[in-house]
This record gives sequence, structure tokens and C-alpha cells, in this order.
Amino acid sequence: MTSPRQRATAEFILDHLVWFMLAVVLIAFSLFVPNFFQIGIFANIIEQSTFVGVMAIGLAIVIIAGHMDLSVESTAALAAMITGILFCSRGIGMGLVLTPEWLAIPVSLAVALAVGAVIGFLNGFFTVKMKMNAFIVTLASYIWVRGLVVAISGGRSAQDLSPSLRFIGIEQFLYIPLIAWIAILCFVVFSFIMQRTPFGRHITLIGGNAVAAFRAGIKVDRLMFISFILAGAIAGLAGWLLAIRTSGATANLGTGMLFNAFAAVVIGGVSLKGGVGKLPGVYAGVLLLSSIHTAINLMGLPAHYTQVILGLLVLAAVLLDTLKLQIRQRFA
Amino acid sequence: MNRLRRLLTASIAIAAVGLVSPAFAQSKGKIYYMVPTLLDEFQTESVSAITKFMGDVGYEVVTLNADNKTDLQQSQMNDTILQKPSAIILAAVDFNALAPSIEKARAAGIPVMIFDRQITSTPSDLTSVAGTVEIGHVAGDEIAKLLKAKNGDVKGKVLQVLGDPSDPYTLDIQKGFEEKMKPFPGVEIISLPAMQWEASNAGTIVADQLVANPDIDLIFVHAAHLAVAAVASLEAKGKKPGDVMLVSSNGAPVGLDLIRKGWENVEVEQPLYAQAAALAMFADKVVNKQEIKPGDYKVLGLDSVMTVESWGPNIKIPGAAITKDNVDEPRFWGNLKAPADKITPVQ
Repeated sequence: MTSPRQRATAEFILDHLVWFMLAVVLIAFSLFVPNFFQIGIFANIIEQSTFVGVMAIGLAIVIIAGHMDLSVESTAALAAMITGILFCSRGIGMGLVLTPEWLAIPVSLAVALAVGAVIGFLNGFFTVKMKMNAFIVTLASYIWVRGLVVAISGGRSAQDLSPSLRFIGIEQFLYIPLIAWIAILCFVVFSFIMQRTPFGRHITLIGGNAVAAFRAGIKVDRLMFISFILAGAIAGLAGWLLAIRTSGATANLGTGMLFNAFAAVVIGGVSLKGGVGKLPGVYAGVLLLSSIHTAINLMGLPAHYTQVILGLLVLAAVLLDTLKLQIRQRFA
Repeated sequence: MNRLRRLLTASIAIAAVGLVSPAFAQSKGKIYYMVPTLLDEFQTESVSAITKFMGDVGYEVVTLNADNKTDLQQSQMNDTILQKPSAIILAAVDFNALAPSIEKARAAGIPVMIFDRQITSTPSDLTSVAGTVEIGHVAGDEIAKLLKAKNGDVKGKVLQVLGDPSDPYTLDIQKGFEEKMKPFPGVEIISLPAMQWEASNAGTIVADQLVANPDIDLIFVHAAHLAVAAVASLEAKGKKPGDVMLVSSNGAPVGLDLIRKGWENVEVEQPLYAQAAALAMFADKVVNKQEIKPGDYKVLGLDSVMTVESWGPNIKIPGAAITKDNVDEPRFWGNLKAPADKITPVQ
């Protein structure tokens, strides 16, 4: 027999487990990894979480809605490449200059978001309207969109991004680069949307039980379609940030980020079955992964260890998820 | 109606003859080029160069991209063998895994030329390489010079950013570079790999190391596109060109741009055009299974040495150090000015 207070404490810990894990990891690294405990390293961790983090937001929304989007990495790469081609002055860049110069920010951002939204629209169309399996549809997009990146770039790179965009990757506020603030803002906004608006609540309901949601009068198909478009557009935003960070784009930009985004989503407590998960947890998952990457960089360990650790972490997260369910049942 | 049909048939026949005849009349045959990936500029330009130079000596080139997948390249080799081409040019994804495919092709009477990525575990008909270990040596010599100029002696802290740790190409460069640094105990090398040769991974490594080791004298990255991300991180940390020395390898256009802008000190070039031209110079001999004599050859003006090794004829073309003084020379492939002169086959 457990008291309500014990139950509330257990629920709180279970709901925020990933944050506790992050705190433990950061304390351990600060104590044992040379040069880890300094503000510059913490700022780096937040900055490095930007791209995978933003990508993971869209991915998490689709997964919470009960589907899958494997195309976010390639979509980000395409958005980065198009931003690079338009606004870089070297390589295959066209060196587009707008007057006044600040116009480059909204225009390039709109282009990147639109590119992502179009890919998301196609994913949504085939999944929702044509009733095709989201895994297969987005896997196909993962392949053809990356192919498109290679095709439009001819395997070449676009470099030397316009200074009017580059400043977002260089300037800092409170030691943290502006691109990282953009990612934080995205998490705040989408966390609010997912938790406090009908759209977010309905998406979660659909992921939990689409039939029940439909019977409750929720426009399941419409919201599913929107979630795919959102995931695409958010991946486009990740690509835009990536182009700013690397001052351009190469054909292999972003390779491997899909796995990290997935790992972050799972570690962050989003159930792959849909209907469960909160975006702040996903952000904690991304920060956890970045902390591990950084610690491995600083320790000079072979990078293969990163993959071993990430794999084990994902496994641990799934195990914890199972345990959480059992513990909750015990307290219920 | 009949008249229209006759006209249409005649047009199709003329178009077919026009399309087919000239190519086949002049071509000595098809050569398949197995490119490991099209995700980097060296490989992309190698396709253009090999197609152009082989065209000069009468061969039509078909390119197959393996997308950095060993198993895919093995399947492509199997498919190509069935097409019975005049020869295969192989730039292997994996140096050792493709050895059985080379043996299979040669057993089927198809000569195999190795481009850029040397395979020594099985015989082939011609190998044209700059030598990846040698690229590391050139980089090592240049880095020693730069450290001496800065610190008065060959000493200091070097951050070495490798490519993907599963790629033997980057491991060879590392080996060559570290061999050259061995006599200098005052040089501390921090080596970290950019997984999957992905630029933002390199940027992350540089950003972390600049905080943990602010006294880094020089950054050595194993590909020019990684240098771009390294520069972005330097810029984000408030560094100016020249604050931290930068050396890169492969000679891609972006590396040359960084030299011009003052961010990069040296780019060690892989002589892509000469490597491709050497294959074309000896293509007739390879296809006709004639003997290739060892000795010194001029390949696009570069002094190159042909030796006969246990794995077959091997032409080694020296890699060059590109600096601010010579960056605009057209011989560097990074300037993307492929030599217009026709290649002459070696008699």
C-alpha cells in the first residue's frame, strides 16, 4: 500500500527520469572528464543539440501521433543544400544578394520551411490519403530526397554563406549561440502546442487510439496530415540551421542524424507505439546524447564507443519505459 | 496515312543510325568506372576526368556509384563482369573486400585498373595512385615547417580530425602523418574522427577542443569539406584567419578557397587529373594485355614512377602541397580546370 505522497513522488521521478539521468551524467562527467566542467563546454553541448534537437521535435510529433518519419534527415539535408545554393558565394552557391541584406533571413528561412513542408506534404499524402505504410513511405523519401540532394548539387558543395545569415551561427547571447536559442525557442513553442492546445492533445489522443479519437469527433486524417507537414517543415528548419552552422552545405551533410534523433526521442520517453511522450523530455534526451558525444571528444576515446554507448542507451531507455509501465501499475 | 507512316519509320531509322553509328564507330570499347561515392567532390570530379581522358584515347566510360557500400560495389562488379567490358576501373569502397571481385573479373578475361585506392592484396592490371600514406607524409612535412615557423622548433599541439574511422583512406593518411611526427616528441597530437565524413561532426570536434585545449597550434583535417566546418567553428569562437593554423588534404575547391581567404595554410592535393590521365595513357596496353614497362613517365607534366609490384604495374604520382603562393595554378584539380590537351597513349 503506497501513500498518495509516495505515489506522487514516484510519478514525478518517472515522468522526468531523463532529466535525472542527464543530471547524473553531467555531474559524473564534470567530476571525471578533464576540462569538462566549464561554461564553454556546456554552451557547446547546447549548441550541438541544435540540429538533432530541432529534427527530433518533428519526429517526436509524428511518433506521438502513432506514425513514423524516417525522412527528416534527408529533408534537412535538402533544405540545407537549397539554402546553400541560393545564399553561398563559393562552390555551387549562386550568391544571391537581397536588398536590404536582412531580407536574406526571412527569405532563406521561408524557402527551407517550404522545402521541408513539401516533403512532409508528400509523406502525408501517401500515408494519410493513399493509406500507405508510413515506414515505407518515409523510408522511400529518406532515399529519394538524399538522391535529390546529390543530383541538384552534382556531389559538389556550396560554401561561404552570406554574412547576413552567418551571424546567427556566430553571435552569442549569454554564452550560447543564437542558433541554439532558436532550438530552445522551438522546444518551448512546440511543448506548449503539444501540451496546452487542442491540436497537441488531439495528436496525442490519435497516437493512443486513432479509432477512439475518430469516434470522439476528432479529424484524425487532417491532423495526421498536418503532423507530417509540420515534421517536414521542422526538418527544413533544422537544415537551415545546419547550413548556417557549417557556412554552407555538402552532399553528405546531416548523415547519421536520423539515428541520433530517434535515439533522443526514445531516450526522451516518447513511446514508439504512439500516444505517449513530451517534448521537454526529448530535449533532455538530445542534451544527454550531446553530453556523451562531447565527453568522448574530450576523453579522446575512439568514436566507435559513441555508437556503442548510444545503442546501449537506447536499449536502456526502452527497458526503462517497460519498467516505468510496471512501476506505474504497481502504484495504481 | 501510309506516307505519314513511311516518313515516321524513315525518321526513326535515321535517328537510330545517327545515334548509334558514330559512337560505336569510334569507340574502342566500354570501360566501367566503379566510383565509391558521389558525396564528395574528389569522386565527382574523378568521374568527369576519367570520362574525358578515356574519351581522348577512344573509350566510352560507364560509371557506377556504390554509395559507399561495399556489398553494392561487389554486386556492381558481378553485374559488370557479365557485360564483358574492355576493362574495369575500380576505386574501391573497401580495399580488401573487393579483392575477390577483382580476381573474378580477371579470371573472366577483363582487365582491372585500380584508381586512387591502392589494393595490394591481389594482382591487378594497373594501379594509379598518389599514395594515401604519402599524402600523410607530405602533410607531416608541411606541418613540421609550420610549427617550426611559429614556435621556433617542431613542437606544439595539433588537433587531427580524421574522416570516418572505418575508412582505410583516412587511417592511411593518419599513419603517414604520425610517422613524420614521430621524431618530434614536442608535438602533441589529439586525434578524433568525424563520423561518416560529416562536416558538422568535424565542426563539433573543433568547437569542443578549442574550449578544452585553447592552446591548439594547428588543426589538420583529412578532407577539405571538413576544413570548412572547422573554420565555421573557429569563426564562432571569435578566431580570425591565422589565429589557429589549418592544414587539410585532398585539394578540393573549398580548401583552395580557404587558402585564398587566409584561413588555411596548406592543402595537400591528391593529383586527381594526373591519376586519371595515367589510366588513359596506359589503357590500350591494359586492354590489349601488353606489357607495361617500369620507369619514369611524365603524366600531365608531373614526374611519375611506374614500378612493377607484386600486385602488378603501379604508377605513383606525387601529391603536392598547395599554399597561398601556388593556389591558382590550373594543374590543381581544385581549380576545376581539366587539361584541355588530348591524352596520348603510351606506345
